[in-house]
Amino acid sequence: MSETILDVDGLSVDIATPRGALHAVRDISFSVKRGETLCLVGESGCGKSMTSLAIMDLLPKAATRTARRLTFADEDLGKASRKRVNALRGDRMAMIFQEPMTALNPAYTIGNQLVEAYRQHRNASEAEAREQAVHLLDKVGIASAAQRLGQYPHQLSGGLRQRVMIAMALMCGPDLLIADEPTTALDVTIQAQILRLLADLQRELGIAMVLITHDLGIVARIADRVAVMYAGQIVEEGPTASLFANPRHPYTQGLIDCIPVPGRTVPGGRLGTIPGVVPSLVGEIRGCSFRDRCSHARDICAATVPLKETADGHQWRCILENAV
Amino acid sequence: MTALLEAHDLTRSFEVSQGMFKARRKLHAVNGISLDIRKGEVLGIVGESGCGKSTLARMLLGLLPPTEGGITLDGTDIRSLGRKGMARRVQPVFQDPYSSLNPRRTVASIVALPLEVHGIGTAAERRKQALGILDKVGLPQRFADRYPRELSGGQRQRVAIARALVMNPEVVVCDEPTSALDVSVQSQILNLLMDLRRDLGLTYVFISHNLAVVEHIATRVAVMYLGRVVELAETEALFRTPRHPYTKALLASVLTPEPGQGIPETGLGLAFPDPLNPPSGCPFHPRCPARISQCSTTVPRLLQFGRDAVACHLHDAGQSIPSPSDDGATMRHSLPLPQKRKQSE
Repeated sequence: MSETILDVDGLSVDIATPRGALHAVRDISFSVKRGETLCLVGESGCGKSMTSLAIMDLLPKAATRTARRLTFADEDLGKASRKRVNALRGDRMAMIFQEPMTALNPAYTIGNQLVEAYRQHRNASEAEAREQAVHLLDKVGIASAAQRLGQYPHQLSGGLRQRVMIAMALMCGPDLLIADEPTTALDVTIQAQILRLLADLQRELGIAMVLITHDLGIVARIADRVAVMYAGQIVEEGPTASLFANPRHPYTQGLIDCIPVPGRTVPGGRLGTIPGVVPSLVGEIRGCSFRDRCSHARDICAATVPLKETADGHQWRCILENAV
Repeated sequence: MTALLEAHDLTRSFEVSQGMFKARRKLHAVNGISLDIRKGEVLGIVGESGCGKSTLARMLLGLLPPTEGGITLDGTDIRSLGRKGMARRVQPVFQDPYSSLNPRRTVASIVALPLEVHGIGTAAERRKQALGILDKVGLPQRFADRYPRELSGGQRQRVAIARALVMNPEVVVCDEPTSALDVSVQSQILNLLMDLRRDLGLTYVFISHNLAVVEHIATRVAVMYLGRVVELAETEALFRTPRHPYTKALLASVLTPEPGQGIPETGLGLAFPDPLNPPSGCPFHPRCPARISQCSTTVPRLLQFGRDAVACHLHDAGQSIPSPSDDGATMRHSLPLPQKRKQSE
């Protein structure tokens, strides 16, 4: 079970703006194996959603994707035809979006929407497709699944809609699941239920999962490995336990210090902060993009930043060996 | 501590259209809430979407009249204070700093507007006062003549806080003040709110769905569910020994950044709270893993435990209070304790 499903090397996404190219994603590399969950974590504008759209070839028109290598199950996505990508997407590569109300079509029943992609990809009969839909709704914990097929998205609660989205993503038995902030729009109790469901299904079906979130709490609980993004780059990547126990990049350290943790941070005490704002990603960017906000910055940070690595595959881009 | 702002049996219902030919239905957004907000405290109000926490906030601000019940400020009915009199003493900070600031006004004039409305001082004095308060919330003078679109989310929220404070209010009602912000900005705003409270002796009502944030900032917490307060307790006690099964589930759902603990099982099942069709009896009973027979028939009353209160039949006199071991494996709640991921069945 260590087969690499997704291999990304040197992926960049540039968006044309009137002021020049905006480098939304800058030369990022990562891979995900079968049965593994990789979390991309970062704050708004760090490029995490653009990364997922680039992999799925769903970028907006103004954006261009370049990569040294972008392979899905050893197939080169960079060279694949539009037809081939369309065949893979929704079949072997599936995606779950943040807001199930906008991702589902309000004019069709959920049955229609579940069945559509399956018939498209599998050339199956209506009856077979419905059987698969009932099977999956059942699997994502929706009771009386057969009756639910006739319902419209607005008749379901937010938690149920997200379960339908998950069922839809799993209809064709994908090898790769990309979940972009799948629980951000949900209440906390529902969030816990949906994440448990995702984690259980991912383990049971041996899917490779890329989960995109801004929430370090989710990351800690679900990820096997974590990639921390800042200003379009992966600034740190490593096994979850190692990254949380020993964050090497000052940005990762700063993020962890910002979060109040019941039982750990002192109630009413001061929380850590990261001063300053994210730099503009338009035009040429040199050196470490975090240096203006970093308390450890030195002159050398304006030059190229070294990529460091430990034996257990924990990597970070910083002149420091250890964040203090 | 004396009660500064008090809600007495507050109820607010809305008439909701069900479509052209169907009768309108009553939605009880807030259903008989009594609360006292004491001088100098931070009362956290937590609950999920649709539980009525924002409706409660708007009533506490005097922006929405209650259908039944009333609110007093220092013992005076707020209806006799009038909108302006109320605004001098109770001010809001809303969730979205993108929609709560007038895009056509500069930062200084946004902050000075309450003074203008109340006819306080000359234009020059108002500006001076606005600049003073902007400085207090960490926005230097150079921001004064900028427009909201030129500011980041965190800076906008600072402007909203400055506007709330320029009238020297006693109470600030913060409705999800950090929910739209990134975590690194959230921590700055939380630090700021705590500094301001200490420096200016403010009282906060702090509404949030984020339990970790509430634990950090609140001194007392009210847990709301479908328009009712189901538990009210000092923050430390609530997080250490929650009494209501819903509070337990909420606390169990907090995902702290601690690897290896897995994702908690809340034990809540698939029922979903629908404010338009509230269940009979205890509003939480369809989701409650610890429900007993009377939960579906009788609305539990709010029981006082010293200064704390809980509305749950399990804690009512005559009922045997389940010992912790009866709580069931799914109800482990206290946050600092390790919660092992349950193996998938």
